[in-house]
Amino acid sequence: MKFALYGCLFLVAVAGSWQTGALQEAQQTRILALENAWNQAVMQKDAKAIAPLMDDELIYIDYDGTVMNKGQYLASLRAEATHFEHIQSESMQVQFFGWSAVVVGVYREQGTQHGKPYVRRERFVDTWVNRAGSWICVASESTLITH
Amino acid sequence: MPQRIWMVAVICCLAANIPAQDKNDGAAQSKVLALESIWNMAEEKGDVRALDMIFDDSLLYIDEDGSLLSKSQFLARVKASGTGVQAITTQSIGVHAYGETVVVAGTYRVKGMEKGKAYLHEGRFMDTWVLRRGTWVCVVAQSTPVLH
Repeated sequence: MKFALYGCLFLVAVAGSWQTGALQEAQQTRILALENAWNQAVMQKDAKAIAPLMDDELIYIDYDGTVMNKGQYLASLRAEATHFEHIQSESMQVQFFGWSAVVVGVYREQGTQHGKPYVRRERFVDTWVNRAGSWICVASESTLITH
Repeated sequence: MPQRIWMVAVICCLAANIPAQDKNDGAAQSKVLALESIWNMAEEKGDVRALDMIFDDSLLYIDEDGSLLSKSQFLARVKASGTGVQAITTQSIGVHAYGETVVVAGTYRVKGMEKGKAYLHEGRFMDTWVLRRGTWVCVVAQSTPVLH
C-alpha cells in the first residue's frame, strides 16, 4: 500500500514537472515570437504594431545612451533619417522569474542613417511581464558591442 | 564594527522580504534603491562578499563594451581591480515595480585608476531585481556609455 502511494506521488510529481516545463517552453516560444515581431515592425517603421507590445511606462535606453519613454521611442522609429535594411537577433536567451521574463541577446542592424550606411551589433536586455496572460515589454536597453 | 560586517548586516535586513511592508510597490522600490546604494559602496571597497549577497547566482552583467559576464566573472573582476574604483555615483531616473520584479534605470559616473591612469566612465544603467525565496536579488545588470 505504501509502495503504491509513493508510486502515485512520484507520477504526480513527474507529470507536474513535465507540465511546468512544457508551459515554460510555450511561454518562451511566445516571447521569442514577440521579439521577432518587434524586429520586423522596426524594419517596417510600424509603430502601431509595436505599441501594443509595450507597457505605457516603458523605459528604453538606446545604444548611444539616449533614454526614451514609450512615446519617444515610437516617435524615433518614424524618424526619416534612418532607413533599416536588415535587423536580426543573432542569439536570444530567455530566463523566467515568476511572472516576468528577461531576454538577453545580440542584435545586428544594418541600414543607412542620414544617407550613410551603418552596421551595428548590440547586446540587448528586454524585460517582459505577464499581464492577464499577455506578455508586455516594460524595459529595454542596448549596448554597442565594441570589444 | 568593521564596515564590511556592517554592510553585510544591512544587506540582510534590506534584502529580506517582510510581507506586510512589501504589500505596496513603494516599499519594494525603496528596498531595491537602498540595495543599489550598497552595491556602489561594496564595489568601491572591493567587497566581494557583500556583492555576492546582492546578486542572484544566475546574474548576467552586460558591460559598457557589450561583453557579457556571469556572476563569478563579475566578482572576479571586482576582486582583481582591487581599489582601482575610487567613486561610483548613480542617480535613478526611473524605478518601476511589477509585482515581484523591480526595474531600476539611471545614470552612473565611475572615477578610478587603472594601470596608473585616471579614468572617468559615464553612462546609463538598467538593473532588474526579483524577489527570490523572500530576498531581493539582482538578476540582470547592463551599462551603456553615453555616445551622443
